[in-house]
Amino acid sequence: MKIVGSSAGAVAAAGCGQAPERILPYVIPPDNLIPGVASWFSTVCRECPAGCGVIARNREGRVVKLEGNPDHPVNRGALCIRGQAALQGLYNPDRLRGPMRQDASGALKPVKWEEAEKLLVERLTGLVKQGKGKRIVVMSQLESGNLGRLIESWAQALGARRPIFYEPFNYEAIHHASRLVFGRDAIPHYALEEANVILSFGADFLESWLSPVEHARAFTRMHAFKHGKAGTFIHVEPRLSLTAANADEWVRNAPGTEELLALAILKVILNEGLQAPGVDVALLRNVAMPVDLEAAAGQSGVSVETIKHIARTFAKAKPGIAVGGGVAVTSTLAVETQRAIHLLNYAAGNVGRTVRFGPDSAFVKATPHAIVGLLTQLMAQGEIDVLLLIHANPLFALPPKWGFAEALKKVPLLVSFSNQPDETTEQAHLILPDLHSLESWGDFSPREGVLGLMQPTMAPVFDSRAVGDVLLSVGRQVLGSPAGKGPFRWETFAEYLKEQWRGIAREYAPSMPFDQFWEEALRRGGVWKDVATAPVQARSAPVFPIQGKPASVEGDPQGLTLLVYPSQRFYDGRGANKPWLQEAPDTMTQVTWDSWIEVPAEVAKKLGIRQGDLVKVTSPHGAIELPAYVSESLHPGAVAIPIGQGHTAYGRYAKDRGANPLTLLPGGASLSFLSVKVTLTKTGGRRPLAIAQATHDQDDREIAQHVGLGAARELELRGAVPEKASHPSMYPDLKYPEYRWGMAVDLDACTGCQACVIACKAENNVPVVGKEQVAYGRDMHWLRLERWQEGKPEHPENLFLPMFCQHCEIAPCEPVCPVFAAYHTEEGLNAQIYNRCVGTRYCNNNCPYKVRRFNWWDYSSPASSSYAFPDPLPLQLNPDVTVRQLGVMEKCTMCVQRIVAGKDAARDEKRPVRDGEVQTACQQTCPTQAIAFGNLKDPSSRVAKLSRSPRGYHVLEELGTRPAVTYLKKVTRDHGKG
Amino acid sequence: MRTKVGVGVLGLTLLAAALFLVLSTRGQAAGPAQPIAFNHQVHADQYKIDCQYCHADARRSEYAGIPSVSRCMGCHKITAADRPEVQKLAGFFNKNEPIPWVRIFKVPEFVYFPHKAHVRANVKCQTCHGPIEKMAVVEARTGQNLANDLLNLVGLARSSTPLTMGWCVECHTTMNAKEKTKAPLECVTCHH
Repeated sequence: MKIVGSSAGAVAAAGCGQAPERILPYVIPPDNLIPGVASWFSTVCRECPAGCGVIARNREGRVVKLEGNPDHPVNRGALCIRGQAALQGLYNPDRLRGPMRQDASGALKPVKWEEAEKLLVERLTGLVKQGKGKRIVVMSQLESGNLGRLIESWAQALGARRPIFYEPFNYEAIHHASRLVFGRDAIPHYALEEANVILSFGADFLESWLSPVEHARAFTRMHAFKHGKAGTFIHVEPRLSLTAANADEWVRNAPGTEELLALAILKVILNEGLQAPGVDVALLRNVAMPVDLEAAAGQSGVSVETIKHIARTFAKAKPGIAVGGGVAVTSTLAVETQRAIHLLNYAAGNVGRTVRFGPDSAFVKATPHAIVGLLTQLMAQGEIDVLLLIHANPLFALPPKWGFAEALKKVPLLVSFSNQPDETTEQAHLILPDLHSLESWGDFSPREGVLGLMQPTMAPVFDSRAVGDVLLSVGRQVLGSPAGKGPFRWETFAEYLKEQWRGIAREYAPSMPFDQFWEEALRRGGVWKDVATAPVQARSAPVFPIQGKPASVEGDPQGLTLLVYPSQRFYDGRGANKPWLQEAPDTMTQVTWDSWIEVPAEVAKKLGIRQGDLVKVTSPHGAIELPAYVSESLHPGAVAIPIGQGHTAYGRYAKDRGANPLTLLPGGASLSFLSVKVTLTKTGGRRPLAIAQATHDQDDREIAQHVGLGAARELELRGAVPEKASHPSMYPDLKYPEYRWGMAVDLDACTGCQACVIACKAENNVPVVGKEQVAYGRDMHWLRLERWQEGKPEHPENLFLPMFCQHCEIAPCEPVCPVFAAYHTEEGLNAQIYNRCVGTRYCNNNCPYKVRRFNWWDYSSPASSSYAFPDPLPLQLNPDVTVRQLGVMEKCTMCVQRIVAGKDAARDEKRPVRDGEVQTACQQTCPTQAIAFGNLKDPSSRVAKLSRSPRGYHVLEELGTRPAVTYLKKVTRDHGKG
Repeated sequence: MRTKVGVGVLGLTLLAAALFLVLSTRGQAAGPAQPIAFNHQVHADQYKIDCQYCHADARRSEYAGIPSVSRCMGCHKITAADRPEVQKLAGFFNKNEPIPWVRIFKVPEFVYFPHKAHVRANVKCQTCHGPIEKMAVVEARTGQNLANDLLNLVGLARSSTPLTMGWCVECHTTMNAKEKTKAPLECVTCHH
């Protein structure tokens, strides 16, 4: 009776009205927008100056996913980890929501646009009228398209100084050296894919050097084993970076000896007559002969044997390519090193083949640091009244010894157009937040002949205005131009842009009507054309002064040389405010949410430093404290600290996390990142690192497998498919009536960049858990990038393995679920039904791959303290994927939402799904196309072909799980000499 | 003695059950009040306007959608412009405000229901939404409901469109058997 009574009461209560849910229609629906169907807009990624093309998936007026533009010649459909995470800049919870000005107490307070603009106009007009235009300076990030042009003409019209296009990593040494050697102030196009041998002197082209996505793709094309051929990659660097870990031969040199080694190699080439025919041998001899091979070997720590081996391999490559100048090795000899590398390429006959002047890189437009130094001086002398900052953060990226912070205090009006509260913007007197790049019109040209067109992919999230619009409006008001006349006659930057593109239309497609050209360019994402390679000659200059010794570093002679390197996640620090990037592990160390100092094992032992001990790092210019990461492979004369953390502002995810190693560098006229020695002292404190992978030693589990080049060739010739152990099963064999989805991962192509990890997070609404939970092992990455190493710890062979749900045919997780939440579909997927899951966690317990992730905390309720999506991050969530609640298990689904969508599209046309139509998020973004997905039942599909490869194997095959994912063994070359 | 008590208990139980059934169905209103008293009987039955004239996205997307205010105004700029409800509509349009309709049909957040696939399979709208063209005010008795289930058990079906999973799966199964359709029965197709 009681039970019936209470349930009657409960039902009656439910019948009473709860607040009704509303459903709102459009008043006037936008053209071509169907709720539930995505629209795609082409634009350009602006997370670094590589300028990859991007297509943005817009659902109901908000962008939920970014993918590479398949047509764009730089990235051809791929997108790196920073590009994928750009959405967290667009929807960053700490993004500035509107214009602000500093009040009397120095605090930033909101202000209306009209008032903010008026302030700026007043100040500028005063200066311009008095002829003091030179007291105005614009400092912007590199803008190589029409915004750059507008900034320049704006400065010119106001009589201001020439704008500075400031990039902390500007690779200026390369074009300075090109000017010296070839008489052309340019950064050439490095066609890595056409080389048989890549010789890199510290150029981290798989991480951040110049154009990493393009280089990664090119690298795989020349290096990955295909039809019996495989290129060779030799990397010279004191630290085992991610790029070095992908090398066939990693040569560990003493820091600062790149020039020395390059010249030594050049000498060997000349001695053995290996230079290409037709080169100016006398010129080369002048340069190389003074080098003493034995001395070079002694200074660099690289044996004469190895130098000779490298020289022979490189010179005989036909063609090879030599590159150099990654940030970490940019020393006081940066220009000399690039000079030597240019001469190496010249000597080997690579110039005009794999090193091409034309198309030249846009990086040459980045202002040399010497000019930034000049600006600092001018500001310190009180000669600058107005500094306009457009997406530049010099207070973070310039070493304090440059004096930029002190000089900035003398500038009465600092205006920032940034939309993030970074260190420099926090000092601004006036903030006029620019639209995010995904909300903007614009264009960006990463190199000659490629002009990417940007368009807004959605309406602005916050009250921001395009910096171009503001410049036009302010410029008009300052000059007092009548409407529609004068140098700023366009009402908006969009109008200005479109008019400039008429000129581009005449150049690229003279016979096409402009409207058609513009429409096509918007759809395609830009325009591109081939650019002829200009022939260059090495100059017969007088004898170049040869250094013949390592780069000079200042500091305690007993100290260790400091290597600061750009992290693939944070670049120059701009990525630190994005939680996805904080949580993505650094591939080599697997550290998350912190920064560290990599200490060589010998030094750690001597000083009694264990991993996680807080170490004080002191240079002649500053000191920071960081937890130690003990490394077996780092050169014993060096320590290494990643750049990007140690922000003192920049939002909740970036602030007060780690330490900024750039504060240890000296001031001066140029920015040499490799220029100090530091001393280490134990502080006695500890800050354990949140490391995502417990060990890099596979024991004998053979998770990541490799095969030698010779053996791989033999297997390929024989066409032998390895015998798959047929483990008996007590279940009947599965039948697949229609499709059987499967994947293949080529370990020879995977470079460990982690783009797939974040693409998956973006696509599948995976929450961010924070440092503490990662340390517990409770991170939620559906896909993790494992690094395994073998061989000598100081010189290991590295293997990168993307590990995700293997969708086993005989899945250990399926029979143990008490509620049938984990089951096997008819198409070969291991499916997880979130609303059935009751959270026993038996499935992950049974999973040998440990790929299932459990929602230990409530990541999806706004009221929860673990809420992973503070406003406006929920706008990024993919509406096609359930947001999981507390107590539910989740894992890789092979992007089943995409499979469902693909089948729906195919059913519309009454045909089966074609190979390549459905791409999982990880597969889609991978710069090296290491991941394949498709229908295993279709023998002509890419995944079926790869699964039949002689290099194919299953991870933990002996357990009899019969995974649907086949891995292809990495092909290793012998670390031979000569 | 015991038998009498037994009969008494049984009687009370039956009474409680009857009371419960009455009370529980009382709470459900016959269609909530909408901001504008839109009458499907007039539009769909009398004037025979096709469902997809207004709910056009049903064939294109997972959401059938509610017609935009401008779609209504397409006719009502002129048609019946003097009626008070139509004037309410014009008010919304002129103020550029969406009409805050009360939502009737919704599946849980963890369910993916695509209208497009069902329209493609020629499932009539009324199959799931009930006889809308006969409704002056749209109403539905959806969701899991003990009273419904009990009544169904004894053959007194109350709601023919509960939109519960079992009901969807039953239709998929019967259609696959009878009409040789390929309606998916994979859990993950709708739960992902």
